[in-house]
Amino acid sequence: MPVTDFEPIYLDHAATAPVDPRVALLMYACLQDSTLQGNPASVHAPGRAAAARVELARAQVARLVGALPESIVFTSGATESVNLAILGAARAGGAKFRHIVTARTEHRSALGACRQLEREGFTVSWLAPGADGRVDPAQVADSLRPDTALVSLMHANNETGVLNDIDAIGRSCRERGLVFHVDAAQSAGKLPIDVDGCGATLLSFCAHKLGGPKGVGALYVRRQPRPALQPLIFGGGQEGGLRAGSLPTHQLAGFGAACELALASLPAEAVRIRALRERLWAGLQGAAPLWRNGAAEPSVPGILNVRFPGIEGESLLLALDGRVAASSGSACNSAAAEPSYVLRALGLSDLAAQASLRLSLGRGTTEDEIDRAAELIANSVRRLRAALPLGAIETIA
Amino acid sequence: MIAAPVSYSPLVRRLFDQLPRAGGLAPGPGQLVHGEARALDRGAWVRLDARIEGGYVADCAFRAWGCPHVLAAAALAAAHSSGQPIAGGLPIDAYRMAAEMDAPEEKLGRLLVVEDALRAMLANARALQLR
Repeated sequence: MPVTDFEPIYLDHAATAPVDPRVALLMYACLQDSTLQGNPASVHAPGRAAAARVELARAQVARLVGALPESIVFTSGATESVNLAILGAARAGGAKFRHIVTARTEHRSALGACRQLEREGFTVSWLAPGADGRVDPAQVADSLRPDTALVSLMHANNETGVLNDIDAIGRSCRERGLVFHVDAAQSAGKLPIDVDGCGATLLSFCAHKLGGPKGVGALYVRRQPRPALQPLIFGGGQEGGLRAGSLPTHQLAGFGAACELALASLPAEAVRIRALRERLWAGLQGAAPLWRNGAAEPSVPGILNVRFPGIEGESLLLALDGRVAASSGSACNSAAAEPSYVLRALGLSDLAAQASLRLSLGRGTTEDEIDRAAELIANSVRRLRAALPLGAIETIA
Repeated sequence: MIAAPVSYSPLVRRLFDQLPRAGGLAPGPGQLVHGEARALDRGAWVRLDARIEGGYVADCAFRAWGCPHVLAAAALAAAHSSGQPIAGGLPIDAYRMAAEMDAPEEKLGRLLVVEDALRAMLANARALQLR
């Protein structure tokens, strides 16, 4: 990282959120606590103490999504949760159920798991969202077949923040007795989630998107009726046999604390962050022309995906380097820059996708930061546009 | 969506930050020509504007769309062209641009677009002299 005389404005919370200092302190205390050094799977006193701490965290994590503690399976993060949900449910479905429904705009963890199932002989229906970024619940219902094993869709898209109507999709799945997996990595702790209300059979989320540590996540698994799941990791039979491996007490304590803090501040923070996002959008009008990728609403509060016609993504990132930390619409470390498949699925060209910037806000984001970021971004866009060949703005839109 | 780290040499950083010779040419004597090359699929679109006086490039400016290496290379091409005879060879080619900027190998395709714009500008300048 280049050395700068000030901290960059962090607008990449959708990638990961800074660990809440209260969470960090609690984790440190947990690591130092001599009574919590046992393996939570051990039956002796230190083990039982650690297990009790883990169960406290499990209850805190469960409360965030309106679940019972015993329905939470701890994992190493959302990627593992998504893999366990998709691969585990599909493989457990039996020979008569070999069809999966998902969308082209899912996170790479879901896309990768579904592609693996294709290699194993499953058929996958890859649904295309509308230009607004939403998957139509009617389209999901129409795609269901007698051999459908699983429907897997994200709640909030990680690039655009657009929300799918998981309540309607969940109802449709529930009526047919289908397993419905919701990837809630971007929405858990940002919006109220009630696993019963939305009809999710399985729901994935993780700690590091909501102020907790990296390396820990959860999969909610409905109790009644309980879906069949095949584990991906084998060993000591932890987590009801669904996820072997010694539980990391301090990580889970941090996850639990992050969930509790997120839940406590949820209604007010959602309103505050949504207002900041709209302030940012208003501030960026100084860089017109610009477009918003995906629908403005319904959406998760903290994500704004903006397209600046005529702007090349890597140049914009360098222009902002050290001042604003954000993500561009492409992987730009090589000449073969790969445009965002999510933005391409929304109908954008490769060039338009690469002219896009994802700005994601979080708990620590302030009004002053938003105003400064809007000014920095608008100034950078204007500077790059001043050097463009004539007609570039119209061509690269 | 990935914000991948890319390393840039100090020269690229300086040229990108300052964009010297970006935009149009100031009014002055001589005849104006330009050369343009565009390969959007390769990530580069470059236009070089030059003022020709007495068989020399009296001044040169650029306009460009592309990654920081493309913008820096266009600035280099404009700087190397100024003061050079139009009858001579290329004042700088893509390989020398890459070497001066310490550009990664995979950027060479884009730098060739800058070289194409430079060739086009000089060809147009020579054609103008023959009229």
